[in-house]
Amino acid sequence: MNIKPIHIVAALTLGLAAPALAQEPVLYTSNPVQAYEAVQANVKAETGLNLDVITGGSGVLLRRIEAETSAPQGDVFWSSSTNTLGAFEQLFEAYASPTLEAMPDDLRYPGDLFLPANVHVATMLVNTDQLDGQEVPVNWADLADPAWSGRIILPDPVNSSTGYTIVWGLSKLLDEATYKAVVANLVISGSSSAVPRGVAMGEYAVGLTFETNSYSYVDGGQTELRIVYPAEGTFISPEYAGLIKDAPAGENAKKAIDTLLSKETQIELLKVAFRRPSRTDINVSDHVGLPDIGNIKVFAVDEAEAAEQRDAALAAWAELPKAGDAK
Amino acid sequence: MTGTLCSPWFWISALALALLSLFVLYPLLNVLTASFTGEGPNGWSRLIATPRYLQAIQNTLILATTVTVVATLIGVPLAYVTARYSFAGKSLIALLPLITLVIPEVIAAQTWLMMLGNNGLITRALRDIGIRLPSFYGWFGLITSMSFIYYTYVYIGVVAAIGKFDAQLEEAAQSLGTSPARSRLKVMVPVILPAILASALLVFTMTVGNFAISMILSHRLPLLSVVTYQAAVAEGASDITMQSTLASVSVLIVMAVLFLNRWVVARGRYEIVQGRGARPQPLRGLKGAAVALAAGLVVLISLLPLISIILGAFTQARGPVMQWGNWTFANLERVFVTAPQPLINSLTYAGVATGLSIAFSAIVSYVVVKKPNIFTPFVDYISAVPLALSGTVLGVALLATFHGGWLPLSGTATIIVLAYVIRRMPFGMRNGQATLHNIPNSLEEASISLGVPPVRTFFKVVLPVMLPAIAAAAVLTWTTTVAELSASILVYSGGRETLPIQVFRLIDSGLMAYASAYGLVLVAVILIPIIVAAKLFRIDVFAAK
Repeated sequence: MNIKPIHIVAALTLGLAAPALAQEPVLYTSNPVQAYEAVQANVKAETGLNLDVITGGSGVLLRRIEAETSAPQGDVFWSSSTNTLGAFEQLFEAYASPTLEAMPDDLRYPGDLFLPANVHVATMLVNTDQLDGQEVPVNWADLADPAWSGRIILPDPVNSSTGYTIVWGLSKLLDEATYKAVVANLVISGSSSAVPRGVAMGEYAVGLTFETNSYSYVDGGQTELRIVYPAEGTFISPEYAGLIKDAPAGENAKKAIDTLLSKETQIELLKVAFRRPSRTDINVSDHVGLPDIGNIKVFAVDEAEAAEQRDAALAAWAELPKAGDAK
Repeated sequence: MTGTLCSPWFWISALALALLSLFVLYPLLNVLTASFTGEGPNGWSRLIATPRYLQAIQNTLILATTVTVVATLIGVPLAYVTARYSFAGKSLIALLPLITLVIPEVIAAQTWLMMLGNNGLITRALRDIGIRLPSFYGWFGLITSMSFIYYTYVYIGVVAAIGKFDAQLEEAAQSLGTSPARSRLKVMVPVILPAILASALLVFTMTVGNFAISMILSHRLPLLSVVTYQAAVAEGASDITMQSTLASVSVLIVMAVLFLNRWVVARGRYEIVQGRGARPQPLRGLKGAAVALAAGLVVLISLLPLISIILGAFTQARGPVMQWGNWTFANLERVFVTAPQPLINSLTYAGVATGLSIAFSAIVSYVVVKKPNIFTPFVDYISAVPLALSGTVLGVALLATFHGGWLPLSGTATIIVLAYVIRRMPFGMRNGQATLHNIPNSLEEASISLGVPPVRTFFKVVLPVMLPAIAAAAVLTWTTTVAELSASILVYSGGRETLPIQVFRLIDSGLMAYASAYGLVLVAVILIPIIVAAKLFRIDVFAAK
């Protein structure tokens, strides 16, 4: 009695369920449309394969991979930084891609469990129409001025690796009083993409976000926007891709990763999505209006420590008063 | 007792209960038991120990109550004037609120910010004359934007009920010496009350579960849906204690409200013997102009996002930056030529899901209202459970339950259709029940006493009477199913993107122009069937002429 109606329903609806062809690789990514479409086009051109794409927040996708461990549906994950991926190592398998030869050692993940796909650089996106008499900030410490209260937006570090990278870096770079004063001026956004959009719309004067997000608005022609690489040094964070354990596409999954990390794809990603390549054989300023990494002052942070102390750091962060707090 | 067992309705309700248990209760229990069984202290003691969670619950209750009241205050008067009067521009007003149902909430929130945000048009204009509006981020923005989206549910639910209300009752009351206003209050309100309550319940639950607008506008104001999502992201899948606990809280809140709703409806039963609706009366002169203006204003405000979609769909863009004033067809070319799969998928999945939900809810709501037996209260409660589930919870539960095992559905189109049906079937159930309360038992008793078997009586007598309501429910189901995002985005697989998923992806990538083009096609996909139904088949979707 219990089984019969279920079979009827299943039979009725399974007609819709033409299974995907096993040999086509599937990419799970939180990257924007411009970025994965560039990868899809290159995979098609290089290997003739159709790369299917599932998008979502990196946390959501990682949980999905975890839920699917008994019968994986995805092959490649391309989305996150060390501080997020650390907890999900068991879902992936190492892959020593030949493309790794072109990557600097300091970007490689221990055991090549994950492969560095590109590098993020933290920036301030400043809307000069919304300065209200203030100077364009050049240092992180400039943001401590109470005049900025409620006018700076940051993605929530709890669920955005952009936000966490910036907050962790600031807590190491600034002295405690300045750090607290900066945090007190911040408004937290639940949505990462709302940060550059909010600044571009003039909702906020300053947005703290990675250069890939900031630069697309400058490239689009919004001349009132300025990208600031703070003079004290800014924070970089490699973004990794990984081969999902027991990937159903097998060798084709590896081909997709090789294509993702190839010089051609990395240049294309730089041009259309402003992703700074992880490869050392590409000059960024040859292709887009972004400075070469050598011309940016970087403040080194220990990514492993940031990952390890994540819970404590977020708990301390939650206690600090911020400009957007509800009364 | 043997009589009960022979009745086909008994077996239908047993079958409905079995299906609901498998596809609703079982996945849900999978998730909910985790609030007790997780590692460390159980979820409930952690909930009570965390002020932020308690504050989120309180804020969500305040928000949902306020939005429900405001949405009802907008929706009921609008439904009343549209159903009972005719005035300039009415045909437009009767159709347009539907559109707001399908505009992706993210686009709606964005449009509100363009008007009332820190740098919004209205905010700046008012600031120039010395008026400072409260910040749109927080209560002001949440209540305003949600009320102007969700009032449409009240409007659609109530306009059908008023259209069916028998004006002779009102005339009878007046001829007995009651004043017109009083007679309306005394006679009409009790009859349309189930419809008002059903739609208010819907608004309440939609607000509790709302995710997209809450994320953008609440900022630091804790809300249940946002803290649940944050807990889910922070916990991952290995320990789902806190997300399950918070999800259980929202389930409990909605179940409590549903119980209240049932209690109120059960207290008074009113049946309309003969649905002879009143003829709309023309309103002219000053009064007509005032009503048209007020109604037009409400509709215009809720249509602002649509205007931004239409302009955006034909505007050139470079990356995320719109080149306003430069027109193009390139965005629409992408929808129909370069990447048409989302459109095809949406039509297929939503079509199948709407058919299944309507068939299920028509038959089952009939059994629940007219043929109660030992199973029907359970069927009624369980069928309402999805109302209390946010799409995210449902998506996670379905994936966890139907992955591998004896019924492997993940990675198929079936699980998308299943998610659609589970999420939207309660709309049809509520609608069907509200309608059936107004169909007198004497109709089918007459048919049965003339020798027609019960099941044939249902198809020959009851179903035709229900048909206008079923058509309206089908429209509502279709619109909300085509627009469904939060569950399908979790369960879809490669190559099975739907239109809302594509819009969401594009907005998240900052590509407003492409997003607008897909959004515009989504609106068209929803409106065309409605217009075809109304013009070709004379199905009076809104029961108001």
